[in-house]
Amino acid sequence: MKGSDLLQFSLDNLRRTRLRTFLTTLGVIIGIGALVAMVSFGTGMQRNITEAFTANDLFTTIRVLPVRMDIEQVMAGNLDGAMSGMQKRTRALNDTAIALIAAMPEVAVVFPEITFPVKIRFGGQEASTTLRSVPVAMGGYTPYDRMGWGGFFSSDSAAEVILSYGILSRLKLTLDGEEEQARTDSSRVWRRVKADSLIGAEVEVITSVLDLGRMMSGGLAAAGQPSFTEHVTRLRVAGIRPRPHAFSNEQVQGGIVVPLLTGKRMPRFAFNNMWSLLSRGGRPTGSYEALYVRLNRLQDLPAIRKRLQELNFSVFALADQLEEIKRGFLMVDTALGAVGTIALVVAALGIINTMVMSILERTREIGVMKAVGASERQIRTIFFFEAGCIGLMGGMLGVLLGWLVSRLANWIANLWTLRQGGGVGGDIEFFYLPPWLIGGAILFAVGVSLAAGYYPATRAARVNPVEALRHD
Amino acid sequence: MAGLSGLRTALFFIRIRIGGLSCIGEVKQPAVVMRMPSEKEALLSALVEAIDLHKHYQKGKAEVAALRGVSFAVEAGEFISLVGRSGSGKSTLLNIIGGLDTPSSGELRVGGRNLAAMDRELLARHRRTTVGMIFQSFNLIPSRTALENVALPMIFAGMERPVRSRRAAELLDLVGLDQRHTHKPAELSGGEAQRVAIARALANDPAILLADEPTGNLDSHTAAGILELLARLNQERALTILMVTHDQPSAERLSDRLLHMLDGGIIGEERGGRRA
Repeated sequence: MKGSDLLQFSLDNLRRTRLRTFLTTLGVIIGIGALVAMVSFGTGMQRNITEAFTANDLFTTIRVLPVRMDIEQVMAGNLDGAMSGMQKRTRALNDTAIALIAAMPEVAVVFPEITFPVKIRFGGQEASTTLRSVPVAMGGYTPYDRMGWGGFFSSDSAAEVILSYGILSRLKLTLDGEEEQARTDSSRVWRRVKADSLIGAEVEVITSVLDLGRMMSGGLAAAGQPSFTEHVTRLRVAGIRPRPHAFSNEQVQGGIVVPLLTGKRMPRFAFNNMWSLLSRGGRPTGSYEALYVRLNRLQDLPAIRKRLQELNFSVFALADQLEEIKRGFLMVDTALGAVGTIALVVAALGIINTMVMSILERTREIGVMKAVGASERQIRTIFFFEAGCIGLMGGMLGVLLGWLVSRLANWIANLWTLRQGGGVGGDIEFFYLPPWLIGGAILFAVGVSLAAGYYPATRAARVNPVEALRHD
Repeated sequence: MAGLSGLRTALFFIRIRIGGLSCIGEVKQPAVVMRMPSEKEALLSALVEAIDLHKHYQKGKAEVAALRGVSFAVEAGEFISLVGRSGSGKSTLLNIIGGLDTPSSGELRVGGRNLAAMDRELLARHRRTTVGMIFQSFNLIPSRTALENVALPMIFAGMERPVRSRRAAELLDLVGLDQRHTHKPAELSGGEAQRVAIARALANDPAILLADEPTGNLDSHTAAGILELLARLNQERALTILMVTHDQPSAERLSDRLLHMLDGGIIGEERGGRRA
């Protein structure tokens, strides 16, 4: 018996009971649709976050910290454990340490973390943001190798600044040729400017300095009064960073960037993060809050980390967390997939029911087929093909349904994010439907359908022809 | 025509009618018995040989004996009628020879091959190639046209579509339905439906046609037409026919032999009018 004849048999049988076939297939369509929508959401989130990490080059960067810390303890919320670890002092993060690390061949760039909050003033508007200092050497590495407009710094001590795309909206600027910022806040005065006109423009960066003298003389009377004085630095805009990836946040992509020495020289007093707060007081002068070590290749990371730890540095690499993140996503995907699978199991029960019904109706016909020479294997194959056809059709249409649902959900989600004022404008792809998911979902549908068809097909094959022909 | 059947009779002069004696007959020809006989060689001995066939089946808690030691032989080209009351085991015997049912004990050789020793796959092959069956209720597939019904056994035999369509058309012409190829069973009269069933039974060119009360659902005039067709096939195509019937007068007129059955056994044999 030929495959094409088998297929013809199965299709004829399915066509004869159109409504029932349609309803059964609809069950599979909904099951696969749910599965595809769920899993594509999971993979979409994973891709968004992984891409955001990669785009920001977070994986090839190691942070060297002044205190030893147990990241597992911090993650687990056990602050006592984490704090006890911090009591142990490590090697000082000073220029000597920088030179030591820079000498390692796998290391591309080492620079100290000089990050503090500032206010930026331009065109009569003012915004609070974070200033980061980066050496010129980083110009060749992600994310600084790609500017949206303009270029990178000319030197480590140039009076220049690079603005993030995000800061522009905080300064109420809209770039010409870019999408309109669809904000509901009408009170803001938006100014449309050409990006090129911003390059070379002067912005004021305001830092706060603790006025010790005023604090002493004021005493209690001055309590509640700010004991800070403002210090203004004028910098020229060298470049504007490109529109960021949807899932980046202000800490990674936002703020402003200045050349390393320019940042180092700016007067300031700030607790910009937990580490500087915790280490303040005990930190030897001339040492930094943290060092950034940028590697050439990701695969060097384990070796370098080991060497740094041997040198009594405390190391934090986000790449270490990547496996953890991946495991987390695997669990999320599995959970989402399980929900979809439940729908498919219900569909499989529908297939079994439909096929058992159909066998009962066609008992006589099966008897006739056996009487004229159909073997058990041929009968079983015909019913298997029927189940497979339902699975294939259901799988393909289910993927289509899942895609349509994901498009709709994506549209609604984007509308909602926009309404919330979140995001950076533009569409975020919450769903991702990779080819393996399309193929896998269809195969899964066919597989589940065949499994569901196993019992009915076997039952059909075992029909006793003598009884079947007596059947009315 | 008479000369042809005479020759056939001469060829099978050593036939043994009573199964119990066939063993002796086989001992005399060890060369044939020692290996699996080919289709042609099988014709040298009886085409169908039943030796002490028993069939029991459970009906609720009671065990019913449908066949109680049936032994007989059929030569190639014979037209045999099985007659007897309802429940005498005629249909059971026919179903066992057709490979639809299996005997509880005993031996059944068709074309030299022992059906009792066949697995389900081989039995399907037997149904597909060695026998063709027709029934009182025609058993056509309602959703398929006459032509498709006739082509059905050829599908299971793996025949190509153009070949089987052509052959099915030829067979329909043979049974006198040249105008009815595309009709569905519901659009056919009883006689026409039975003709389609006969054409279907002949699809894979079987050695034996098994007919289970083929005229039971037909009026006498139509029934006569069907019986005439069977007789013609038996004559012209040398088709061996085993027919279960209640129509004793017709059976006597058309058959070579009539086997009388009662309570699961053959109680008598009668020479039919065909050879006369």
